[in-house]
Amino acid sequence: MGIKKTGLIFFPAFDWAISPTHPEREERLLYTRDQIFEEGVVDLPEIEEFSPRLATIHDIARTHFCIPRVQSQVTEAHLIASGAAMLLGDRIVSGELNNGFAMVRPPGHHAMRVVHGNRGFCNINNEAIMVEYLRRKHGIKKLAIVDSDVHHGDGTQEIFYHDPDVLFISFHQDGRTIFPGTGFTHELGGPNAYAKTINIPLPPGTTDETFHYVLDHLIMPILNDFKPDFLINSAGQDNHYTDPLGSMLFTAQGYADFTRKLNPHMAVLEGGYAIETALPYLNLAILMALAGQDYSYVREPDYRPGMFKERPEKVEQVHKMVESLLDVWAKKDEFDREKLFGSGKFYQRKKNIYYDTDYIEEEQLEKVRQCDQCPGYMIIESGANRGYGALIRVLAVSIPFTACPDCQTEAYEVYEQGKIEKKQFDYIYMQDKSTDTYLAYERNKDQEWVSEGPKPEV
Amino acid sequence: MYIGVDVGGTCTDAVLLDKGQVKATAKVPTRADLLSSLLEALDVIMKGTPAELIKRVVLSTTMITNLIAERKFDPVGLILIPGPGLNHDYYRYDTDTHIISGVIDYRGREIVALNEAEVDLAIDKLAVAGYKKVAVVGKFSMRNNAHENHVASVIKGKYPGWQVEIGHKVAGQLNFPRRVVSAMLTCATRDKYEFFVDSVLTALDQRGIKTSVFILKADGGTLPLATSKEVPIETIYSGPAASTLGVQALIPPGETAVVVDIGGTTTDLALILSGQPLLARKGAKVYDQRTQVRALAVKSVPVGGDSVVERAGKEIIVYSERLGSPYCLGGPMPTPTDALRVMGLTNLGDIDKAREAMNLLGDPLGIRPVEVAARIIELVVETITNEIDQMYIRWEKNPAYRVWEVLQKKKVRPKTIVGVGGNAPGFVSQIAARMGCYPVIPPYFMVANAIGAAVSRPTLQVNLRADTERGIYSIQEEGYQGTIKDRHFNEEKALSLAKEWLARRSEKYGLQDDLGEVEVTRKEVFNMVRDWVTSGKLIDISVQTKRGILHYIGTGVNCSGD
Repeated sequence: MGIKKTGLIFFPAFDWAISPTHPEREERLLYTRDQIFEEGVVDLPEIEEFSPRLATIHDIARTHFCIPRVQSQVTEAHLIASGAAMLLGDRIVSGELNNGFAMVRPPGHHAMRVVHGNRGFCNINNEAIMVEYLRRKHGIKKLAIVDSDVHHGDGTQEIFYHDPDVLFISFHQDGRTIFPGTGFTHELGGPNAYAKTINIPLPPGTTDETFHYVLDHLIMPILNDFKPDFLINSAGQDNHYTDPLGSMLFTAQGYADFTRKLNPHMAVLEGGYAIETALPYLNLAILMALAGQDYSYVREPDYRPGMFKERPEKVEQVHKMVESLLDVWAKKDEFDREKLFGSGKFYQRKKNIYYDTDYIEEEQLEKVRQCDQCPGYMIIESGANRGYGALIRVLAVSIPFTACPDCQTEAYEVYEQGKIEKKQFDYIYMQDKSTDTYLAYERNKDQEWVSEGPKPEV
Repeated sequence: MYIGVDVGGTCTDAVLLDKGQVKATAKVPTRADLLSSLLEALDVIMKGTPAELIKRVVLSTTMITNLIAERKFDPVGLILIPGPGLNHDYYRYDTDTHIISGVIDYRGREIVALNEAEVDLAIDKLAVAGYKKVAVVGKFSMRNNAHENHVASVIKGKYPGWQVEIGHKVAGQLNFPRRVVSAMLTCATRDKYEFFVDSVLTALDQRGIKTSVFILKADGGTLPLATSKEVPIETIYSGPAASTLGVQALIPPGETAVVVDIGGTTTDLALILSGQPLLARKGAKVYDQRTQVRALAVKSVPVGGDSVVERAGKEIIVYSERLGSPYCLGGPMPTPTDALRVMGLTNLGDIDKAREAMNLLGDPLGIRPVEVAARIIELVVETITNEIDQMYIRWEKNPAYRVWEVLQKKKVRPKTIVGVGGNAPGFVSQIAARMGCYPVIPPYFMVANAIGAAVSRPTLQVNLRADTERGIYSIQEEGYQGTIKDRHFNEEKALSLAKEWLARRSEKYGLQDDLGEVEVTRKEVFNMVRDWVTSGKLIDISVQTKRGILHYIGTGVNCSGD
């Protein structure tokens, strides 16, 4: 028996960019590659490098409603980034690896369940695709995702908002000061998953010290209580003090200490655009922390101890927020469901979603069945305007893994009815996770598809 | 006419080639004095051939491998400039190691300057400890060699007699720990290797061979023997490279095959893909020390015709050691060769002795000699086929960093197993049968390694890196750092600059006639964008003289212009 290793998939997608000068471009992980290769850490017996594989269209359909089809929203680079996370997940679950780091791009945590285009540099959600894959393939029951990107992981939150078995915790720069403008403490999950979404908005200028206060006093206690079978870190690195998009003051050491304490099964790279001053050092430090190696010698070139100070009133604010969120967590099973979510058959919410990269505006009505037996199926009505007039309207139905027979039956009725009666929708989708079946109906062609091709005539 | 000589661990093989035809071969045992074995084999094949007709001699030798294995060299002190990253405790080597301040980053910018007092102190301590050989290695020194050069010049100033190696000249790829090992081993072996090279050159001269003499490298290319003094460790593992090239020459051009070279103590496995030997993704490993030496992807399996076979309880076990010749050739222990003899798969040795060897193992178990022999062969075949499978898996796991690389990864499984080396015929058909492949034992399989040496050709590489934002470029192999004056410097200009340097290098080594077609093996261009504006380009270009072999044997196909 050898030592259990940390698996690394380094996929810098040196031939993929959103646009030549976009932050999400070929150059992004170039200096990270130089640093990691020059350090020779891949030669350490504790680290093993793997080649990525491609996720399938089916794997994407398990998580997303891509409009109109999966193939129209993803490039091979996306399939590789998701496939990399899945491959490492497989090997960790099987016990071959201790943990893993998918150092991949393009990122994914802003991609929501319905995908009309690219938002926040993301098309599909690598972590969510891995989570749904691990549940399907390996029957993993409880999972948790801790998002350490400076931007709120709104995509991941949205996908698991009604899922009681996936705990999502995001700490990020206060949404009033940065994209996507969400992630406030009152966003706590739907009626069947209350307090399974925890948001920790931090004021601009937050340093390692407060970051670790939040980790030690809020995140770790909640995780210890929830006891996930599989823990994922959405390892965004734009809380770094040199990041051009964020205004936070975290350091490489701060991130590495976080990784060591969190001890996730998987870290998946998300954002981080200080490609020279932060990424080479952060990625190295995180990798070494995962592999249980001493990272204390990893330092940014301009870092001097004591260079960051926080205003005491801001710190006080954060401490108070930690208190109140701890309280929410402690009382998560005692909340007044009717008062918070009403007593209707469905809980519903309206959403306006803006796709900043592709300039798409989406209006969405999301309904979840308030079921006593299961997390409840969902009905989503979505319309998106691509700016040139053509409004695309879709109806999507999603059945959770642990759906009760009533929800399964009702959901299929909604889907079938939609095909016949709801002429206003151009596309109608069925995402049945309970049987791993994914259907799409296109009204114009009057044709139905399963995730991997046309359904044979019966 | 061309000569190839492979000084291997057990045997020294030589061939004389004339226009793709084998004119003479020789096989003599390798003795402790490598030079005398080399010359003996050479004299056999040269008999009757005037020395003037020899156009080229290529050697491959275990000289450096032996030196490193037996640690027959003076200690080498280390001065390292690692800067931030791994804890410095990782840099523990079996010698005095001094770590000094100074930081160069990934773009070659000096972040922290050297501390002169520390430099002096490190040198003084090495001097007190009696070192006369020092390797100076810095992190990212191939991006900026100022620190390494400065420390080396201080040493030369204080102790002109010391031998100093600097990292960027020895190992210019990214990987600091491997650069340290490469520099240290180069420093350790250089003087002994120089002595060996000079002796060989003198001996050839005395035989009237005035032509160019080359040495085979681990990557299957050659270097002029005299030039190779600069990079002795590049010659490690030239034996396996020689047999792989030999197979390349002995099978039809463009073929995909597994090479199985079964010797006395080890079996070397290699892959030829569409006629080209597969290069290892990482540098060669020498006795657990990881270097940056570019090598063919060869896996050495510790099993061969002379491996010891023993009985443990009811099991028959093939061990990785060799305790001398096979039993049927007067050796002390039963071996796979004895098993082959009993099964009639070889004519080596005495059949009665071989049966006796099988009886030694089988009698206590009540098993007949033929069954014992079958089981031994089965064990050897199983070990080798398992390793071939592992080799495929490793090869498929090779990381890919680009979309197209991932997409083009195909599960290519060769259909041909080519056996070479003395013990190949007995095993290869069974290995192939088990893998569902065709077995091939080419003519001259006994001396395929020497043929490989004879047909190998010079390779020279140039790695250019340009950073147009900083207005600098470097040539890795030369340790050269220059400035870019041209404001419109681009990919195209970088490529012609790289080719220029390659031509210059060929001339320096007297290989201008071999330059021929230039292959571009890597071309990476990154736009550097700062504040949403393109501020420069990072260009990495690798060019090399064409890889390949001079002749295919027996086909009359001549692969180059000469």
